[in-house]
Amino acid sequence: MASGRDVRDMLGLPAAGDGQKMAVQKRPKPAAAVRKIQGVAREVVALYGERPPPVAVYEEKKTYRAKRQSTGPAKKWIQQPFMNQARNDGLVLKHWRRKPTATQSGLTNGEDTAMEDVEAAEPPLETNYDFAKFNVGIDIPVFTDEEYDVHLRSDDWSREETDYLLDMVKEHYYRWAVIWDRYDYNPSTKLEPFSRDALHGDPNQALATLPFAPSRTRSVEDLKARFYDISAKLMKLRIPEVQMDASQYARYEILTKFDPLLERNRKTLAAALMNRSMDEVKEEEFLLAELQRINMAANRLDAEREELRSRLEAPIPNQQIAAGLASFQSSAALAQLFQQLFQQDRSKKRASGTAGGPGRLSLSGADIIGTPTAAQHAQMNAAANRRQSLAQQPPPTPIRQLSPQAEYRFNVSTHDRLTSGVTFGADKLLKMRQAKSNVQTQKIGTALAQLGIPDIIPIPTSRLGEVFEALVSKVGKLLDVRKVREKEEGECRILEAMKERRANEAHGHAGHNGENGDANTGDGRGGTPATSTTNHREIQDSQERDEDAEAEADADEDGDVDADADDDDVDAEGEEDEDAEGEDIDIDSQAPSQSARHTSEAMSTRVISQGHKRSASVFSQTSNKSSKRARK
Amino acid sequence: MNIPNSSTAPNANEYAGDEVSAIVLDPGYSTTRAGFAGEDVPKSVCPSFYGHIDSDSSPQYFFGENAIHNPVPNLEIKNPWGSDGIVEDWDTATKIWEYAITSRLTGSKPGNPGKNGLNDANGDDMDIDIEGLENMEKPLEESPLLMTEPGWNSQKAREKCIEIAMEEWGTPAFYLQKTGVLAAFASGKASGIIIDVGASITSVTPVLDGMVLKKGVQKSPLAGNFVSNQIRMIFKQSQPEIPLTPHYKVASKTQVDAGAPSQAIYKSFEIPLMESFHRHEEERVLTEFKESVVEVWPGPGRFSNGTNEEIAKSQPGRPFEMPDGWNQVFGVDRYRAAEALFDAGAALQDAENPRPKDEHTIPRLVQAAIQQVDTDQRPLLLQNIVVTGGSTLLYKFNDRLNYEINAIYPSTRNKLIAPGSVVERKYAAWIGGSILASLGTFHQLWISRKEYEEHGVNIVEKRCK
Ligand SMILES: Nc1ncnc2c1ncn2[C@@H]1O[C@H](COP(=O)(O)OP(=O)(O)O)[C@@H](O)[C@H]1O
Ligand SMILES: [Mg+2]
Repeated sequence: MASGRDVRDMLGLPAAGDGQKMAVQKRPKPAAAVRKIQGVAREVVALYGERPPPVAVYEEKKTYRAKRQSTGPAKKWIQQPFMNQARNDGLVLKHWRRKPTATQSGLTNGEDTAMEDVEAAEPPLETNYDFAKFNVGIDIPVFTDEEYDVHLRSDDWSREETDYLLDMVKEHYYRWAVIWDRYDYNPSTKLEPFSRDALHGDPNQALATLPFAPSRTRSVEDLKARFYDISAKLMKLRIPEVQMDASQYARYEILTKFDPLLERNRKTLAAALMNRSMDEVKEEEFLLAELQRINMAANRLDAEREELRSRLEAPIPNQQIAAGLASFQSSAALAQLFQQLFQQDRSKKRASGTAGGPGRLSLSGADIIGTPTAAQHAQMNAAANRRQSLAQQPPPTPIRQLSPQAEYRFNVSTHDRLTSGVTFGADKLLKMRQAKSNVQTQKIGTALAQLGIPDIIPIPTSRLGEVFEALVSKVGKLLDVRKVREKEEGECRILEAMKERRANEAHGHAGHNGENGDANTGDGRGGTPATSTTNHREIQDSQERDEDAEAEADADEDGDVDADADDDDVDAEGEEDEDAEGEDIDIDSQAPSQSARHTSEAMSTRVISQGHKRSASVFSQTSNKSSKRARK
Repeated sequence: MNIPNSSTAPNANEYAGDEVSAIVLDPGYSTTRAGFAGEDVPKSVCPSFYGHIDSDSSPQYFFGENAIHNPVPNLEIKNPWGSDGIVEDWDTATKIWEYAITSRLTGSKPGNPGKNGLNDANGDDMDIDIEGLENMEKPLEESPLLMTEPGWNSQKAREKCIEIAMEEWGTPAFYLQKTGVLAAFASGKASGIIIDVGASITSVTPVLDGMVLKKGVQKSPLAGNFVSNQIRMIFKQSQPEIPLTPHYKVASKTQVDAGAPSQAIYKSFEIPLMESFHRHEEERVLTEFKESVVEVWPGPGRFSNGTNEEIAKSQPGRPFEMPDGWNQVFGVDRYRAAEALFDAGAALQDAENPRPKDEHTIPRLVQAAIQQVDTDQRPLLLQNIVVTGGSTLLYKFNDRLNYEINAIYPSTRNKLIAPGSVVERKYAAWIGGSILASLGTFHQLWISRKEYEEHGVNIVEKRCK
């Protein structure tokens, strides 16, 4: 029998001798809990050793099969007739369903429960068929006659055939291979165009429309090209290019960029690739194997260089040897020692093996040659190399590269670094809402609320997360810009008031205006529209009177540009759909900016340029800050 | 609540199933399969051959395995299918199919025996029958019917099918689906290329997302019956000629040595039996021979390339005993019978059996079918090569097919999907139909009686694509 010690040794746990002290410490605790175990269980426990096994052992007599619940008589089944709402002909079929129990129906018609047992009672018709929800159609571009005439005409395609094509697409759910397979268009109204053409006397045309004319065969690419063309044109008609959102635009791009010729060439190449002969395939395989061999040789060379370099440095002292023979008592330690010796032995051998020649470190001929002329030699070499390299390290398995479309389709995402454990997308979103300060958090919250974004977003997919992150960073920027603007407004007002006072002093109107200016600055904001308009008038007045101020009339433009530039800064980074909403938020900041514009009329260029500079620097700071937050 | 484990059947909700007691009918040249949708094997498998005794007053028909092997004078054994794989004799085909359905599935209802042909012995019943027809219950009044059809079925034949189902059997709903699609479904594939080697026709059908690519459908007469004829020729050309004696002729037999003439007591018939009966009985023996002796040369290379024959000679033979006790070990000959399925040049020939066409061999059919498919879909199809039909059970058939396909398309990943069990291989189309007709989402596709009455027979062209 294996003792607990052997088992421990096999499993690489610390030996009992080591653990003795621990066991001594531990003993009091389990001793308290130990029950006297009898019979087989006792022997099982003996096998555990001191420690209980890491898996839970259930000792209760649990039955894992739920008991059959036999409550009452066997349930009845009926052939329930049903109607499928996906059909429009009212076909009634029957499927087996549990008979509704008396208690259920008893609620509705209390006394009629007795009636339930009467077999003749027809089960009610079920009209809400579960599987009808799987009946999904597809969207097909639709157009009016005018739209067709104006935008969609084609020399190659009649209206009738276009309609036929659309029908086929709809019927076969965009499966182009099937559509092409079934595509069999023969113009139904032969007679009419024929007579018309006959009148015009165009024999070629007339012949083409005759019933016996061979029907034109269209390739898949022709069909696709026509359909994509129609789709793209209609899409552009419905949504102007600039208003398309990202996915719409991506689709639009795909539709417009379809090139039948290119596609046809691609298919020819693909067919040629498929129809290669056995020899060609073998050759390719051979070349690929060669390539792999060369790569492997290169890898091995690198590894050897690496090894040499590491050997040039001092070897790591082995503590275990220092600890003496006693440390090699467990099998794990022995195995480790063996490994070590083996490694040393191997590297020694290799070193001696290559000592005479040019050495492994220089590129020996056999490592590089990959030409088929040296094939035999190379193959022998390859076999030898493979054996060696197998012992060293397996070649890295290539990671399959997906195209961006495929990645998007299969929802594959690559991460630089993955945190362990499970995180909830909703938590991530919540974190994004939070800023450093409480006030800022609140502001972000209100801004988001204004945008109509709910507190809890139902399905926080990763894509949604990205979009949300972008949005929050924009909101952050917006808030920063607002703050700067407010600050600047305040400054402007103070300066303006100062200037006014000076002007008033100069003109001897000190008292009244000075009070007004104080009121404005004390207020801190633009104030009510009434005050701002009076303010405005007065400024104009002062302008008329003051020549200095007039000389700097272009300051008005400057100020405007400044304000606009800020606006643009926010907008330019926005995506189309958030664009509109961004403007919505701006509305409330419009009023102050208006007044800021008016007040700045009276400002001197120097002040403005200063303010401008400062705002720019503040702006760069804030954008830094917000980008930092975004990275977090 | 029962906890699911590997032995409990899946819940109908789990596979989106919803059974409406539909009946699936898969008529073939050799047998007609019928059963309830949702079951895993057809309950009713009847021979498509029928017995017919022609007399001036009233012709007699015999259906079912038990009836057609009786050595009865004047009994002709016939088959309603034409050589092109489309039904020729619709009247009898209807009766056979109805027999397949009523004999095991719907049960015989009052009045049915008069109609299914079993009791048609006396001519004087006829008048009563016609009267009774009006108020007689039709066999499928209760069950929707899913029928299978070959990929090359003509429009006329399809319209005939719905007409029979609606008018004669009174089914409330009907649908027609191609065997190729269904065989693919049976293997859990919606796309693939289906190689079906049946009794009279071998067909190759490309299927994409459950739809047959019509341009790609290929068929050829090199199938089970062709192999039977090859065996006959092997027997004839062998020295001395191998006697082919069907069971019905033998009263008792005694053991003889291999190759020695048989010592059996034969039955004697006062009125000679019809030739077609005899041939059909011979066919049974040949099928046995196919099952137990015939082997397909598994490759690499063709059997007739010179060296392979030598290799084959060194293989141990397989013994076969005729019903009359004659027996022999078949060596290299057993490779010859089916070789022509892959290599037309290797076919045995005589006056009645000319050399088959090269383009009728299975590899060429596959090639032709693939050629008609959009390039982008070809690799997908080659990854799902579904093998079905009774004759693909020939020993080593799949090995050879695999070799041939890889020889044509060395650069794609070609994968044969051939169910291991005999039942699944033989009845794949039926099983696929059983799956399809028991899906909840399928029930919107049925052609209902109302639609049939509104639009007439050609609705089948519009709906069953
Ligand atoms: N085990 C077997 N080995 C070889 N051939 C077989 C085997 N079982 C059946 N067959 C042949 O398969 C054919 C019947 O196949 P099946 O797919 O049922 O045809 P169909 O669909 O035309 O009725 C017959 O020719 C029969 O001889
Ligand atoms: Mg078949």
